[in-house]
Amino acid sequence: MDFPILSLLILVPMIGAVLTLVMGGGRQKSAKYVAAAFSAVTLVLALFVLFNSDSFSSMSESYEWIKTDFVSISFSLAVDGLSILMVFLTALLVFLVVVFSAEAEEVETDRPNYFHTLLLAMEVGLMGVYMASDYFLFYVMWEVTLIPMYFMISWYGGPRRHYAAIKFFIYTHVASLVMLIGIFAMGFKAAEVTGVVDFSFASIATVMHGVEEGFQALVFALLFFGFAVKMPAVPFHTWLPDAHTEAPTGGSVLLAGVMLKMGSYGIIRICLEALPLGASYWQWVIIAIGLVSIVYGAYACIAQKDLKKMVAFSSISHMGMVMLGIGCLSDAGITFAVFQMFAHGLITAILFMVCGMTGHKVGTREIPLLGGLAGKMPVYATFMMFAFMASLGLPGLVGFWGEFPVIFAFYEFIVANDMLWLLLFCMLSLMLTAGYYLWAMQRTLFGPETTKIDLSHAHDVSKTEFAAMAVLCVLVAFFGMWPDAALQFIEPYTDGLIDILGVI
Amino acid sequence: MIEYTWLIPFVPMLCFVLIGIFGQKTPEKGGYIAIAGAAISFALSGIIALEYLTGPDYPNVVVDSICWFHIGDLQLNLGYYVDGLTCMMMLFSSFISTLIFVYSVGYMGDQGGRKKRYYAEVSMFLSGMLGLIVSSNFLEMFIFWEVMGLCSYLLIGFWSFRHPEGDAASSNAASAAKKAFLVTRFGDVCLMGGLFVLLGAFGSLDFVDLFNPVNIQNVNPDTLTLGMLLCFGGVIGKSAQFPLHDWLPDAMAGPTTVSSLIHAATMVKAGVYLVARGFPLFVQNPDVMLFVGLIGGFTAFFTATMALNNMNIKRVLAYSTLSQLGYMILSLGAGGYLFALGMDSGNAALMAAGTAGFVAGCFHMMNHAFFKALLFMCSGSVIHAVGTEDMRLMGGLRKQMPITSITMLLGSLSIAGFPFFSGFWSKDLVIEAAFEAGDHNVLFMVLWVLAIVTAFMTAFYMFRMWFMTFMGEKGKNTLHAAEHGHGESPKSMTAPLCILAVFAVVSGFFIMFGLDGMLSFTELPGGFFQVGGGHSEGFEYFSELFTNPYTYLTIVLALVGIYIAYLMYAKKKINPGRFNREGESVLYKVLTKRWGFPDLYNQLSWKLGYGIARGVDYVDRQVVDGTVNGLSGAVVGGGEAVSRVQTGDVHDYSSVVLLGIAVLAVLFIVIAKIMGGI
Repeated sequence: MDFPILSLLILVPMIGAVLTLVMGGGRQKSAKYVAAAFSAVTLVLALFVLFNSDSFSSMSESYEWIKTDFVSISFSLAVDGLSILMVFLTALLVFLVVVFSAEAEEVETDRPNYFHTLLLAMEVGLMGVYMASDYFLFYVMWEVTLIPMYFMISWYGGPRRHYAAIKFFIYTHVASLVMLIGIFAMGFKAAEVTGVVDFSFASIATVMHGVEEGFQALVFALLFFGFAVKMPAVPFHTWLPDAHTEAPTGGSVLLAGVMLKMGSYGIIRICLEALPLGASYWQWVIIAIGLVSIVYGAYACIAQKDLKKMVAFSSISHMGMVMLGIGCLSDAGITFAVFQMFAHGLITAILFMVCGMTGHKVGTREIPLLGGLAGKMPVYATFMMFAFMASLGLPGLVGFWGEFPVIFAFYEFIVANDMLWLLLFCMLSLMLTAGYYLWAMQRTLFGPETTKIDLSHAHDVSKTEFAAMAVLCVLVAFFGMWPDAALQFIEPYTDGLIDILGVI
Repeated sequence: MIEYTWLIPFVPMLCFVLIGIFGQKTPEKGGYIAIAGAAISFALSGIIALEYLTGPDYPNVVVDSICWFHIGDLQLNLGYYVDGLTCMMMLFSSFISTLIFVYSVGYMGDQGGRKKRYYAEVSMFLSGMLGLIVSSNFLEMFIFWEVMGLCSYLLIGFWSFRHPEGDAASSNAASAAKKAFLVTRFGDVCLMGGLFVLLGAFGSLDFVDLFNPVNIQNVNPDTLTLGMLLCFGGVIGKSAQFPLHDWLPDAMAGPTTVSSLIHAATMVKAGVYLVARGFPLFVQNPDVMLFVGLIGGFTAFFTATMALNNMNIKRVLAYSTLSQLGYMILSLGAGGYLFALGMDSGNAALMAAGTAGFVAGCFHMMNHAFFKALLFMCSGSVIHAVGTEDMRLMGGLRKQMPITSITMLLGSLSIAGFPFFSGFWSKDLVIEAAFEAGDHNVLFMVLWVLAIVTAFMTAFYMFRMWFMTFMGEKGKNTLHAAEHGHGESPKSMTAPLCILAVFAVVSGFFIMFGLDGMLSFTELPGGFFQVGGGHSEGFEYFSELFTNPYTYLTIVLALVGIYIAYLMYAKKKINPGRFNREGESVLYKVLTKRWGFPDLYNQLSWKLGYGIARGVDYVDRQVVDGTVNGLSGAVVGGGEAVSRVQTGDVHDYSSVVLLGIAVLAVLFIVIAKIMGGI
């Protein structure tokens, strides 16, 4: 295709970011319309790509960036079944966050145009990460996502925002440096064979498939550490609850909805595609980390008093499910791990929107102080119930299809390895998930109205908030009833990936 | 018409959506939409059942499905599965629901705008049950199974805020709803495990594949046993069998119509239905069926004890449901046990006895649906009038509420097994099935004794309830109701009562007109299984039952139970306090505490859930996060920097900027090195 649509997916939000950045003074308030327009255009472009899945291969673009005798770095973009869902999710969530935050106080009061600049800048980075087909570009874009999120937390966050922002930045930054070492190791190893340091995905993968297991395992470990911190997997997760507790609602939505997926995306896109032997070498470690994350995250949820922190820990548990699916290294496991990434993105966006509303409508997110909100804010309560039910894996909603097939893939794996008792951990986590959500609901929504805090200013969902969440709810139900709508993209991709892994 | 079977669950689901969108603007806030939906489903069920049962396909199963999506190489389908069992289930389920919805117009009349939510949720509930009934595979069944779990959660918690009786009741409703969802969820998780095992072993969850003898032969018997036991775990949760029975009494916190729906037409019947539907797999191992029978028989006895001294009219009914569900499971277990033995030894007589057990269980499920819906709606009518659920405050209501008292009497006679009422027929067949199985395993003989004793207790506690409510002196609330002219309930409530009363009396006779043939579970030559098309015994049931001496034993026990209740609570000739030392005896207290099960659940969930969670949280903050902070502190340069960061005292972004510069510097050096040649 001659039309550079993938570049536009990066360019449009970039222009939007610049425009909102310079909208100082009296025009600050209208920044949201600019942001809405640019993110809407991006969403339309993403949808266009989504509906033209036949011509994915002709959409890829590649521009020479740095080219010498020794090194070749290109600005190359591509989409396939794995990335398109993430691209769509990114475009969707950024647009919905702009809509959702249109009336939010935290944005209204403090430099509203910068908030939108940061959102759009983050979109640039995320699009870049999900579409890059060159390691160098991938890494640059990875870093680009970090900085806006840092400022988002430290400018618009809660009382401990500086601590949370710095912790987020340093922690994930250290991880990306480790990842960078892994990338360089691959690049130089490939250069030994080809004579040129070429950072494109395809050329490195080709060489890597022929490299011995020891090297693959080593590089896999480096890259995996970088991605596992991002996902985040236990025990590298402690930046996440702090970041979420302090981040503004919009930031949390993007952080949990699409930024965490960068980690699992990286594992599949880089670790599995390029290092199949490394994957099989570390298979049990991946599975162990996944299982521990699921159960540990679920248990931690039960103990949380802050509603948003609870949801943050639930993300750890649900991303553990993704890790588990990947760890099976089977067709079903990886397909539905990707599906779970998508599903979690949709559901967790509603969850964080609901938690954010609790904070700025009721005044506190402390569960013990809440109670009986359903009477005062019925629409809010309905959304919360819907999101909780979706997240605990109610069949018919999208979350179930990220859970049931992944556990089944895991079941097949443990049956083959005669370790059936491991299934108990999955069963336990399903039980715990239902437990913490229902307990939280009972304490916040039901029962007598709380007297511990002043509810007289509490008001129900506003129009823009309603619109943003309603769109997500419809999608959660739609993909829950027709999972094939998303699977049709993933399945061709995993078929190809399994061929690579089959080399093992 | 049969190709439109999918419409049966679809119509109520459509009503759910319609009520959700337009409910507020329609009269009764969507009540009529819900009634119309249920009625259409019933009509469709009737047409389809008639077409199927009289059509050329009968008794072969009619099944059709479309591909939904794939998990790896495995295909998952959506479809319908119609045989004799499906027909009976969908008919009584939609019929009773229609009546309950009509009744709701009167009962929920004063709920204002919240009625919209109520009608939307009950429509979805019905859709869940009907979907479960017509499902063509276990996964589809599981989805509707969970939809019902959600609806029951929402409906039990309907009064979780702004209950007419205030805050305590609201908290109760909220925690009852949570308990119902979590306890059944425990079963559901087991069921999910069972589905994994079956899907892994068979490579499909479609009933046609699972019930195919060739496929069954190829599966490791131990795997199949594990799968079926896990599936039965789901039944224990959903059908409230011991030891997961304790959510059902608490679920009484919901509106009475919801209780009626849960106990008669939907929800708890789903578990029994799952056993009946999965019978071809359950009967592969007699030990599984023995386990099923033991759980059922023990539940029937165990839960009946708690009804003996309960003072809450709805709770008594709840315990009676538990007990009757135990009967159904016992009957399926005993029948399956005999059938399994018969299959192993090729003994046709044993298999016929097993079929009789299967028929008895399903038959009792239907009869129970009629009389339990009736009893609950009667109790709702009483509560509507007197404004309390405590039977001690009632009494003497017979004159004030003639229709309710008579219909409830008919229902009570039916559940108590009074001769010729519906419960009599099916309960006797259940007990007979246990007795037959007792010939082959002494454990079933024990269960038979328990079942007989339970029949006596049932008669006693049901009539204790009836006499306490309608006979004797007028209680406080009865007098109060009389003063305010609260008499019989409106027609929209009494009309369904009368219709159901007719069914509660006569539904037992259905078995004389071919119901047993429609429900007969048989193995065909070649190893396939079939429900329907069996031989109907017709009026021979009369002679069979009345030549069996044990029938007279149960009749006598039922009559004695009723008579004792009469002496104690109507005539007041015997003081019940004599037997429990005025409520001071140990047994009385244990029963009041429900054998300690609520405490046990609380303790378990508190220790295994919250206790460990606190530990995890502590480890997370102190050890995992502590290590990270300690490490970063050591790197950045001592604790001072960390504490400055931690207190949020950093006003400049210098450290971040420095770090960023450092990273960029490293990057540039590296790139320069590459470009300049290493």
